[in-house]
Amino acid sequence: MFGRSRSWVGGGHGKSSRNIHSLDHLKYLYHVLTKNTTVTEQNRNLLVETIRSITEILIWGDQNDSSVFDFFLEKNMFVFFLNILRQKSGRYVCVQLLQTLNILFENISHETSLYYLLSNNYVNSIIVHKFDFSDEEIMAYYISFLKTLSLKLNNHTVHFFYNEHTNDFALYTEAIKFFNHPESMVRIAVRTITLNVYKVSLDNQAMLHYIRDKTAVPYFSNLVWFIGSHVIELDDCVQTDEEHRNRGKLSDLVAEHLDHLHYLNDILIINCEFLNDVLTDHLLNRLFLPLYVYSLENQDKGGERPKISLPVSLYLLSQVFLIIHHAPLVNSLAEVILNGDLSEMYAKTEQDVQRSSAKPSIRCFIKPTETLERSLEMNKHKGKRRVQKRPNYKNVGEEEDEEKVPTEDAQEDAEKAKGTEGGSKGIKTSGESEEIEMVIMERSKLSELAASTSVQEQNTTDEEKSAAATCSESAQWSRPFLDMVYHALDSPDDDYHALFVLCLLYAMSHNKGIDPEKLERIQLPVPNAVEKTTYNHPLAERLIRIMNNAAQPDGKIRLATLELSCLLLKQQVLTSAGCIMKDVHLACLEGAREESVHLVRHFYKGEDIFLDMFEDEYRSMTMKPMNVEYLMMDASILLPPTGTPLTGIDFVKRLPCGDVEKTRRAIRVFFMLRSLSLQLRGEPETQLPLTREEDLIKTDDVLDLNNSDLIACTVITKDGGMVQRFLAVDIYQMSLVEPDVSRLGWGVVKFAGLLQDMQVTGVEDDSRALNITIHKPASSPHSKPFPILQATFIFSDHIRCIIAKQRLAKGRIQARRMKMQRIAALLDLPIQPTTEVLGFGLGSSTSTQHLPFRFYDQGRRGSSDPTVQRSVFASVDKVPGFAVAQCINQHSSPSLSSQSPPSASGSPSGSGSTSHCDSGGTSSSSTPSTAQSPADAPMTPELPKPHLPDQLVIVNETEADSKPSKNMARSAAVETASLSPSLVPAQQPTISLLCEDTADTLSVESLTLVPPVDPHSLRSLTGIPPLSTPAAACTEPLGEEAACAEPVGPAED
Amino acid sequence: MAYAYLFKYIIIGDTGVGKSCLLLQFTDKRFQPVHDLTIGVEFGARMITIDGKQIKLQIWDTAGQESFRSITRSYYRGAAGALLVYDITRRDTFNHLTTWLEDARQHSNSNMVIMLIGNKRTQSAFPWTGIICIYSHKLTSLSAIFENVDLESRREVKKEEGEAFAREHGLIFMETSAKTASNVEEAFINTAKEIYEKIQEGVFDINNEANGIKIGPQHAATNATHAGNQGGQQAGGGCC
Repeated sequence: MFGRSRSWVGGGHGKSSRNIHSLDHLKYLYHVLTKNTTVTEQNRNLLVETIRSITEILIWGDQNDSSVFDFFLEKNMFVFFLNILRQKSGRYVCVQLLQTLNILFENISHETSLYYLLSNNYVNSIIVHKFDFSDEEIMAYYISFLKTLSLKLNNHTVHFFYNEHTNDFALYTEAIKFFNHPESMVRIAVRTITLNVYKVSLDNQAMLHYIRDKTAVPYFSNLVWFIGSHVIELDDCVQTDEEHRNRGKLSDLVAEHLDHLHYLNDILIINCEFLNDVLTDHLLNRLFLPLYVYSLENQDKGGERPKISLPVSLYLLSQVFLIIHHAPLVNSLAEVILNGDLSEMYAKTEQDVQRSSAKPSIRCFIKPTETLERSLEMNKHKGKRRVQKRPNYKNVGEEEDEEKVPTEDAQEDAEKAKGTEGGSKGIKTSGESEEIEMVIMERSKLSELAASTSVQEQNTTDEEKSAAATCSESAQWSRPFLDMVYHALDSPDDDYHALFVLCLLYAMSHNKGIDPEKLERIQLPVPNAVEKTTYNHPLAERLIRIMNNAAQPDGKIRLATLELSCLLLKQQVLTSAGCIMKDVHLACLEGAREESVHLVRHFYKGEDIFLDMFEDEYRSMTMKPMNVEYLMMDASILLPPTGTPLTGIDFVKRLPCGDVEKTRRAIRVFFMLRSLSLQLRGEPETQLPLTREEDLIKTDDVLDLNNSDLIACTVITKDGGMVQRFLAVDIYQMSLVEPDVSRLGWGVVKFAGLLQDMQVTGVEDDSRALNITIHKPASSPHSKPFPILQATFIFSDHIRCIIAKQRLAKGRIQARRMKMQRIAALLDLPIQPTTEVLGFGLGSSTSTQHLPFRFYDQGRRGSSDPTVQRSVFASVDKVPGFAVAQCINQHSSPSLSSQSPPSASGSPSGSGSTSHCDSGGTSSSSTPSTAQSPADAPMTPELPKPHLPDQLVIVNETEADSKPSKNMARSAAVETASLSPSLVPAQQPTISLLCEDTADTLSVESLTLVPPVDPHSLRSLTGIPPLSTPAAACTEPLGEEAACAEPVGPAED
Repeated sequence: MAYAYLFKYIIIGDTGVGKSCLLLQFTDKRFQPVHDLTIGVEFGARMITIDGKQIKLQIWDTAGQESFRSITRSYYRGAAGALLVYDITRRDTFNHLTTWLEDARQHSNSNMVIMLIGNKRTQSAFPWTGIICIYSHKLTSLSAIFENVDLESRREVKKEEGEAFAREHGLIFMETSAKTASNVEEAFINTAKEIYEKIQEGVFDINNEANGIKIGPQHAATNATHAGNQGGQQAGGGCC
């Protein structure tokens, strides 16, 4: 658009660039202006280009030659601009002019140049010019122009915009008229302008008074109403939602609310006392209290007053406390929520109503009686502006307003008439000034009142304090809002409300503005409170109940809720001296932790995927700890909790769907409760993460390789680099080393990568080469797994190549298996027969509570899915029933006490077989193949033979070679292809039956952890113990399993 | 001014990387950068054509407002595209990209198209000429070589680094120079193309103006009002 119009003035740029930027050229352009004072169709382009060129010269002059400004000023060239503007010269010229003005003011860097431009008040004339704001482009350029000007505001320039004598501040008053413009970018610009103005007003008393006395009440009351209307719309959106269809709109409304809160906070932190008083008063009494807080108290009292639903109000209040930290505001708000009394509230409202309805101190949410524009007009030189009424996109709305409030309007009109009579600018009508004073007096009275009551309340004794803390019995304290808040935590069905309550409590306790004493009265300590001896028992109990719920298999607690509960509980009971939690509460918490262990065991499987999931979950949990502020920015939690991932809601903010997610959830619950429990007991975490950075070999480490097997190779990286290295395989890692020049037999690590994330494939036409890729697991949802090594390794001959391949593949399997064993240890899986007694003893306290559920679970599944079971068995016959038994052996063999990865002596044979078991277990565990048809096992006595360790290793090697370790989908597919769906949780049915029957058998616990085994198959196993001899410590556990299976067997028969 | 769509852009990045110059360079070519003048602007609009459709780009520079949190977060949300700019001669501006990107991802709608731009800000003794410019136009004059040497000696961020950053974070990448206007056009237009494609794929909810996309009167209006609109526009700004 602009690009196309190349008039003759700018045309010669290339050649005559020297002349273009000169005083002479400016003189010439001035000449052009004087010749073309009237805008016509013909000279329009010429004029536009002239103005543009003048701008360019001015900017050049600003940087190079100030004489051009002298000339500009001397000739009053701005008048020409204004003159052109006033000729209704049309959109094109308007836009051009505004654009060049933008550029001009944006690029002027010298103060003096700026003064030149701003003198004579021409800029203010442009600001109040009646542009056609219905044109979005003019609107955008205009508001950008104002924004650019506002960025130039400072102590000196402000006098060009604010005229003390005439009480004129066009830049500000014209801008705020667009505070509710439908175009968001315009609203943002308005906010920017106001913030820039407020910042400057700090140093300018007269201006500050003007802003407060003439504009603050109208602006803030309208702003507050605007916010409130959005909130009601938001609430409506939540109420009318069906199947999350309103989410798009909802998230916009929530973001809008957040924008407003941040804006208000930005005003408040400018810390202009005058303004903050007015703003705080409006926010509290016109919005937060009447609309948000009173909606907490969900009775039908209050009749017609606007209300929002409980979750919305809790959610919004949390946002308020998370964002706004202005002490007077948050303290008053917290005071009402924590100690508010309903009777007081109604009394106050009535009292207020008796006053005139135009006072800001009224505690109710009502529409301002007049539009902002009108208030501003009233507050200033009336009449004059009335005549000058600008075409405004809001005109229609104004008329509606007039219809709605005819009485006020009449009054207002009368006042206006009076104002018109009053005539000139700056003369206040007496009524007006009285009104403002009254408002201020009213305010101070109120705040005194509030102060006195709070002083009174602060004189409570300790007894009263603790009574207050135990909210349920607080008969003498009628605190409906706090009661409501606690009550919302109790909901047994879901955590819809609970999450908001926790957020609110968190936000309040983390709010820097709130007086800690206020919180202490309900024994809600601020984080890092110096010393505390007690904590809020009812709250702690509710938190523990939530944790306990979360650890139930069908618990309806979302991960976000659980994490927040943990945070809050820690905040309550952890002191610098340690944990002050009562034993009974600690015991309950331990119970919850135990439950979570049981929960993971439900899903525990000896699969690759489980390990990857386990580590992924740990990583994402530690790398992205809960950020409550971000959580409360998400509109999706406003809708009732859902389980379907199709909504696009973050996993932690909804219930799990399907077995993968249930497994992930169980793992997370386990992590959270484990970490909480350790922290409360003051014990360090020693088991997690499974791979600790500090244990790993790092690049540039110097290793003693005297007793290591090294294979020399040439590494060719993807980008063509070629280096000679020695390949070494460690427990968890493979590394590429270079001999250390200073010490014989030592090597410097040039690269180290985790074996578990490695892929090895052969190279088709070169028997001496291997392709090796090691991925770094994705750290954020935005990034993909990133290959940290992608190279071809070339060995000296094919034998070494095969050895390397085997070593790597074996290493990979072994590394993974060791980690699986560590997980088993974490879950108190009985690894060594002798320690099983202990393991069971520990679990017994909770298992009694736990058993009925599992029994139920089994019964339900058993009855509902018999066909599935059958069909699965049919396909499962490839899996030796034996593999299951092997798995059991594997889990039971390594010592529990040694928790660390068992020594490599964990028998290579055993490792081979167990790894195979893992994949076997995959299939069997994924199906209720536990039933494994009693007939099957006896029929396949020869199966153990192919079970020879070496062969198994090879099987797995090929698998490992062809599989990217992180690709769950793929490996799952591989397994499903030959076997059965892999991620159905390991089920309990028959095992729990076992538990029921033989409640005290030690091995029961172990059985619950492994891929399900049917008593029949167990029994059948007992018949073939010799087959399992390859595994080192197998006979013993087998014997026990048999023992426990036997009592069941007859029952089933 | 009839258009099919209006896309709102924002420009983000450290101060002094030449954001406003890029903006002006794109929206108004009459301000030619060849003179030793650095001119920028905070807002601009321009019409482009993609796939035969008139698309209006509205670009808002967020400069100078970083001190107000409310402002930056609102800007992000209202935009369909963002140009994330760093200065290839200032390593620190590149190092801050992660923070900018985090901010952008946090506050913007998830579909926002982000383009990473390694810009060469002006103000050198020799007006800089972009590498791309040199290679493509085969400028072999002595000054061009000087300029190139000059640039390469002051370059602190390699092009490959920019590319790698973009790849890792799923951004489009380009090196530009506001001074010579090289690649500026492409940067804005490619971003628009990406947004346009997303609209075609139905990823963007175009009925929700909060996304930074607006359907033009041409699309939204019925024929009758369409005619009326055109009439009005012709009266207003027919010549441009």
